[in-house]
Amino acid sequence: MLLQLTAIQKRFGGVVALKNGNLAVAPGEVHLLLGENGAGKSTLMKIVAGMHQPDGGEMLWKGQKVSFSKPADASAVGIAMVHQESLLAPHLSVAENIFLGREERRAFGWVNRPRMLDQARRLIEEHRFPLHADWRVEKLSPAGKQLVEICRAIAHGSSLLIFDEPTSSLSESETQEVFRIVKTLRERKMGVIYITHRLEELRTVGDRVTILRDGETVHSCGLNEITNERIIQHMVGRELGSMYQRSALAPGEELLRVEGLTRKPLLHNVSFQVRAGEIVGMAGLVGAGRTETCRALFGLDQAEAGTVHIAGQAVTVRSPREAVEQGIALIPEDRQRTGLATALPIGHNLTIADIGKVSRMGFLLDHARERGLAGEYARKLRIKCESPRQLAGRLSGGNQQKVVIAKWLVRGARVFLFDEPTRGIDVGAKVEVYEVMDELARSGAAILMVSSELPELLQVADRILVMRQGRITGELPGRTTQEEIMKLATLHDGGALLEETAE
Amino acid sequence: MIQRLLPFLTLIALFVGLSIASPDHFLSKTNLSSVVRQTAVINLMALGMTLVIISGGIDLSVGAILAMGGLMGTMAMAKGQPILVGVFLGVLTGCLCGFLNGFLTTRLKINPFIVTLGTLGILRGTTLIISNGLPVHEIPAAFSYLGEGNLVGVPFVLWVLVICAVVVHVILEHTRLGRYAFSIGSNPDAAYYAGIPVAFHTTAVYAICGMLTGLGGMIEASRLMTGQPTAGQGYELQAIAAVVIGGGSLRGGEGSVIGTLVGAFIMGLLANGSDLLGISPYLQQAIIGATIILAVSFDELRKRKMVH
Ligand SMILES: Nc1ncnc2c1ncn2[C@@H]1O[C@H](COP(=O)(O)OP(=O)(O)OP(=O)(O)O)[C@@H](O)[C@H]1O
Ligand SMILES: [Mg+2]
Repeated sequence: MLLQLTAIQKRFGGVVALKNGNLAVAPGEVHLLLGENGAGKSTLMKIVAGMHQPDGGEMLWKGQKVSFSKPADASAVGIAMVHQESLLAPHLSVAENIFLGREERRAFGWVNRPRMLDQARRLIEEHRFPLHADWRVEKLSPAGKQLVEICRAIAHGSSLLIFDEPTSSLSESETQEVFRIVKTLRERKMGVIYITHRLEELRTVGDRVTILRDGETVHSCGLNEITNERIIQHMVGRELGSMYQRSALAPGEELLRVEGLTRKPLLHNVSFQVRAGEIVGMAGLVGAGRTETCRALFGLDQAEAGTVHIAGQAVTVRSPREAVEQGIALIPEDRQRTGLATALPIGHNLTIADIGKVSRMGFLLDHARERGLAGEYARKLRIKCESPRQLAGRLSGGNQQKVVIAKWLVRGARVFLFDEPTRGIDVGAKVEVYEVMDELARSGAAILMVSSELPELLQVADRILVMRQGRITGELPGRTTQEEIMKLATLHDGGALLEETAE
Repeated sequence: MIQRLLPFLTLIALFVGLSIASPDHFLSKTNLSSVVRQTAVINLMALGMTLVIISGGIDLSVGAILAMGGLMGTMAMAKGQPILVGVFLGVLTGCLCGFLNGFLTTRLKINPFIVTLGTLGILRGTTLIISNGLPVHEIPAAFSYLGEGNLVGVPFVLWVLVICAVVVHVILEHTRLGRYAFSIGSNPDAAYYAGIPVAFHTTAVYAICGMLTGLGGMIEASRLMTGQPTAGQGYELQAIAAVVIGGGSLRGGEGSVIGTLVGAFIMGLLANGSDLLGISPYLQQAIIGATIILAVSFDELRKRKMVH
């Protein structure tokens, strides 16, 4: 065995994150680590990577007992972790990032740049990564950044690579690229631990699976010995109803009308409408202009041309504040950065967009009411937390996402723009999110739902708009197929790892 | 928890220590009131600074604002205006200076460190130009009550300080403005995305800080019975230190009124104690500097323990 964890325990103050974490990874094996939001997956992996120290249990590395007091200890023995939030130096080049901290030095500490570039180039070529050694990292898309982290791990001769939800922010083609790389790592007899909430990708990459529930390893077996239904049962500890399918309702008046929205080069003449009670899906590859559409509607970017009508009234929205006043809500894609104040309590985060709800006389806060409201939404979205007073930064990744969603539910709006609402959210809670969206639609809201997960669009949306290269290339009924959507989305698949620069 | 209480424990330990080391002098009413009077000005500025730092900003110009406010107020009195009008003018001047800081940071989107470094120079220079570099002396004798008088047996400034502290505490913990300040300081992007009028509330925070500083300027003038254009030099660092010792974070989103008061009094007692024990003022400065670093490193240690 490459890595063997037995009875790992970890507490954060009063919170028990891990009660009994067990995991064994062999070389040349892709090991899937699954579990609900807050089950302890990230915590277990951070222990392996030396970022947390366990309170109990044993860790064997290649048969030897080890303990790491800092990340450098873990990387010294050959354990590397590809992080969700990139830990790269944005202003340095790809090559410099790959060799960061291990630069080849010449006399007097001069860095041997040509050699470093050369080595980086060879590494990139060998693995056929769509990267260039001298690109600056800040120009890369999230997927590109992940590739750089992977290069780093390989260059450092790691023998275990940990991926914590690597594909949650990647497009379809980029996801395929990650799968391809994972397979080459497996061929090189490296061990891979892979955390994901996307069940459809399990069988493409995995060999074995270990399932965590409430900080305990509840099951571990070969992937061919278990069905997806059993996996879900182990994860949630109960039977999950059949596949979610939303029943459409008769749409009401037109709440959002967008005509000729243009912001070159990202958006060209985007037009569509959403009626009250409708959930309109928006599909497309990453970079197709879906997020840009939402940003322009929410006043984060100024459109060059085009008109927006809210409930029949022409409106101009120049800032999020004006958008909020017009009854538009945006659940942004990049939730940790743009949605969450990690140093503040959950309760504060939930009420910040509509503090009037918990105020008396318009400015004095009603703390009891705030806690009540926060508790209510924490239950509704199954946010796993101690109390609304817990700091938002102490929640697991998926639960942080739920807080941001709940914030906009507290605020309420007529038009909701959901940008990748279920990213990073576990199977059970995804259904809660769909149900909340349905509830909003039923109470008369218009919903635009951007998603890269086609199955969920098919389950939830009444109509599906497809975008490609800043244009709407077609509209499909809710009961269409993935193939139809992909056809409209990929006439020419750019899939470029370099983000388009706005010029 | 024990580490969160560290500033309190330090303050208590200092108090007890000094009571034992110098029981007659330290615990005398005169000495205790003089500690209160000496720290009142820094305390007021630090209260304003707490708001600014929580909202993710910093104000290096408070020393200059203090001088400007004090000068304006005393000049008005010298010209025959009633004392209350003078005090009001001092506070108003501070408020306008703070507004200027807030306006520049939010409209020009310049880092507040740079903006207030600039206004520090501008305000100090303007104060010197207006006063021609000369202090204002022709002040009504009754004005000294503000800084030196007693009300029901306690220094009048203590009442002023308590009222201001309560008001700032209520603003921070119980009003929209306070909640927005925390939110803007903790994650400005999230605040903007949530539709909070970030520029308005940031400006308000600087204006309040300026107001409290202007009031501090009047108290300083009352204690010296002059309007000194050079007053308040270096006070900005003491005010920032008080906030930081009390648990405020320069990264924004953290801080409290109680913490700041404790921080300011720790520095006040350190100064007073050094005087009583005959420690040289040079060493005194070094001790205060070391205290700042110690306090902050303990706080960082606590936070790291919690987060990882
Ligand atoms: N730094 C921390 N301080 C306090 N509690 C924490 C901290 N990090 C994690 N926790 C808690 O530990 C538990 C497990 O969190 P972890 O991040 O490991 O979950 P996860 O399985 O990765 O979930 P997700 O799928 O949402 O990413 C959660 O209840 C979380 O609130
Ligand atoms: Mg996680």
